Order: sequence, then C-alpha cells, then structure tokens
Amino acid sequence: MSDVIEEKIKNYRTAPFDARFPNTNQTRNCFQNYLDFHRCNKALSDKGQDVAPCDWYQRVYKSICPMSWVAKWDDQIEAGSFPGKI
Amino acid sequence: MLSTVSRQLKSHPALVPLFIFIGGGTVMSGAYLLRLAMGPHVSWNRNGNPEPWNKTEPTQQHKFYSVNMDYSKLKKEGPDF
Repeated sequence: MSDVIEEKIKNYRTAPFDARFPNTNQTRNCFQNYLDFHRCNKALSDKGQDVAPCDWYQRVYKSICPMSWVAKWDDQIEAGSFPGKI
Repeated sequence: MLSTVSRQLKSHPALVPLFIFIGGGTVMSGAYLLRLAMGPHVSWNRNGNPEPWNKTEPTQQHKFYSVNMDYSKLKKEGPDF
C-alpha cells in the first residue's frame, strides 16, 4: 500500500478529480485535504508508523489552496486556535 | 380565501394554466431544495455526523447531471489512516 502511494507521490502532477467536490467551488476540497493531512500525521504517528504516505494530502492541498489560507491555518495551529477538528 | 379564488376561477377559466405552471414551479424548486438538503454536502448534525461527504463512494455522482465524466473509473486517492 505504501509503495503505491510513494509511486503516486512521485508521479504527482496536480490534484486529481475528487467526486466528493464536483463543482467549481473547491473550498471544501482544500480544507478537507488540509484536515486530512494533519489527521493522517496524528493517526500514523500515534500508531508509530511512518508518516510519509500523508504527503499525498499535503501535495493536494498545496496545489489547491491559496497560500494565504495555508499560512493562516498554519499560524492558527501553532497558536492552538485552529477551528477544525484534527 | 380558497372559496373566493375558486369562484373567481370558475368565471375566468383561462387562469387555470397560471395556477398549474406556478404550482409546478413551486413543487419543482421545493423538490430540488429537498434533494440538496438530503445530499452529502450538508452537515446537519455537527456532533453526530460532522462530514457526511466523506462517507460516500469515490464513484458516486453528486451532481444532478454531469457531462463527459466517467464516474466508474474513479478510485480513492489518498492513503488510509
């Protein structure tokens, strides 16, 4: 499973079509991948596994999200005031 | 009020299509609103069901009508955790 993901991360071009977010407004897609990246990191490091597969979510949200949003959320996470559930 | 309306309708029967079309339009917009409300992109229960769009299959079509999109070939992209 993890080498499939490694393969996908290596051949990454851009965020693929996500059937959960088919319309023009991709805000939720951006936020969901950001959340999934942090949740994946937390879940895999709690289990003691390597967090490298979570990089898929990071690549996707970095492709989709505006940089100002990512910077704001990163600051909020550091300050402990991030509104999403991680 | 309904008796007034039906009395006036009997004397002006040409107004019946008006009621048909306006009633049909109301029903159709209400039905679409219901379809949207029951869909996976709304979260009604923040504590019990916070993200219902994550519970759908990767091949499920959420749009009403989509052009040029083969949904059967999609798979889940990211790793499980």
